[in-house]
Amino acid sequence: MEIGDYSFPDDLLYDREHNWAQIDGNTATIGMTDFGQDLAGEIIYAETPLVGREITFGEPFVSLESGKWVGRIKAIVTGKIIEANEELEWEGTLINDDPYEEGWLAKVELGAEPEGLLKANDPEFAEFIASEREKYGK
Amino acid sequence: MNLYDLGRVPWLESQLIYHAFPRLGMEGLILLAPAEPYVCIGYHQDAEQEVDLAYCREHDIPVFRREVGGGAVYLDGQQLFFQLIIHRDNPLAPRDRVEFYRTFLAPVAQSYQDLGVKAHHRPVNDIITEAGRKISGTGAAEIDDYAVLVGNLIADFDYETMVRVLRVPDAKFRDKVFKSLRENLTTLHRELGQAPPWQTMVDTLARNFESVLGPLTPAELPEVVQEKVAELARTHTTEEWLLAPRRRFREDRKVKIAEGVEVVQRVHKAPGGLIRGTVETQHRKIVAVGLSGDFFFYPAGKLADLEQALVGIKMAELQHVLEEYYHTNAIESPGVTPEDLAVALGAASAR
Repeated sequence: MEIGDYSFPDDLLYDREHNWAQIDGNTATIGMTDFGQDLAGEIIYAETPLVGREITFGEPFVSLESGKWVGRIKAIVTGKIIEANEELEWEGTLINDDPYEEGWLAKVELGAEPEGLLKANDPEFAEFIASEREKYGK
Repeated sequence: MNLYDLGRVPWLESQLIYHAFPRLGMEGLILLAPAEPYVCIGYHQDAEQEVDLAYCREHDIPVFRREVGGGAVYLDGQQLFFQLIIHRDNPLAPRDRVEFYRTFLAPVAQSYQDLGVKAHHRPVNDIITEAGRKISGTGAAEIDDYAVLVGNLIADFDYETMVRVLRVPDAKFRDKVFKSLRENLTTLHRELGQAPPWQTMVDTLARNFESVLGPLTPAELPEVVQEKVAELARTHTTEEWLLAPRRRFREDRKVKIAEGVEVVQRVHKAPGGLIRGTVETQHRKIVAVGLSGDFFFYPAGKLADLEQALVGIKMAELQHVLEEYYHTNAIESPGVTPEDLAVALGAASAR
């Protein structure tokens, strides 16, 4: 689904911090949305999440840097990181160029059922993105 | 918002105070200078890769990892630092990062103008003079629910010590970094012939920030900040914190001087030998080149000519120019092709 200049694949779930999750059984692949990467600007470095680390929904678990700005990414799900995209350490711009494929952040073994996530075609999600675009002037 | 004009404070406090504010739920504008020199590295940098830690130890120069982005820098009392801590929901703080920098670097650029230097903000986060030289170091971070912006008015700068504390492969590279720093980073002292009085800088900066933040109320640091600083000192001064492996490097060694200005050294192993290329670029255009290594290059003397011939060309033209040079000058370099030289100079990925 396209909202403005931003792409939001229909098969993913989204939070209100500009992250996405693809749920497959008890595993979630997570990353930053197209809108999120645009807000961040050119990402010169993304920290590789530590495999084995427990993460909690809404809590920062990894950092990235763009324009000398260190930002924190909040976890979209609760669980344990079982795989991390190590290529991001060398090419942070993968998140900018391909946020839903090559720019994925981590795979997480779910520790709790994801709650409060939205689908791209959910009217509530469209409203949220519209308000975010207004807030950020995007 | 409160204004904390702290004057000179111990170097560690000059860093930890602004780290304490967001953790205490406090906003504020802090103006200060470190009482002692130290080296400060960016949050994602690898201290051992970036800084000559042995040199710093020998010379009692402390090294600190801040939670803000950017690169390694040698700081001392010749810079007046501003540290703005503002809640992300404060209506004065634009949520967009480009706008955030634009809003809060405007008073810094205006301060330079008021002090007599025609400087302006160049997005994303540089303050530059009319001649295009950087004149302020800035960086930002999200810490808890706060945006933190730090930067400085540079009264003067110790270029020699700056390049000495950096970890670089050899003297030639260090020399290139020094020359590039001198060329691309300037100071109030260099621009005006002398640095303005300290209090004038403080007053100017505070007044210009007021035009964006509204009236600032002079305040003293509450005791709770000192307690939090003491607590943070226990974690942020450990070897574990400083030496935590962050960003790693492959064979490239890159020092960013200013936006669009870089010095890169790359070692490339060609069949004919190891090539060490050093290249300084400004907006992808070559400014200076160095080529060395254990490969053969004939006719003798043509390697130095080649280095000169590459000055002024765009990186995108590099391989083509090298091929032309080889052809025109009948170059023979067994096991080293123009493409190898281009790779050593960073034209294509050697990964």
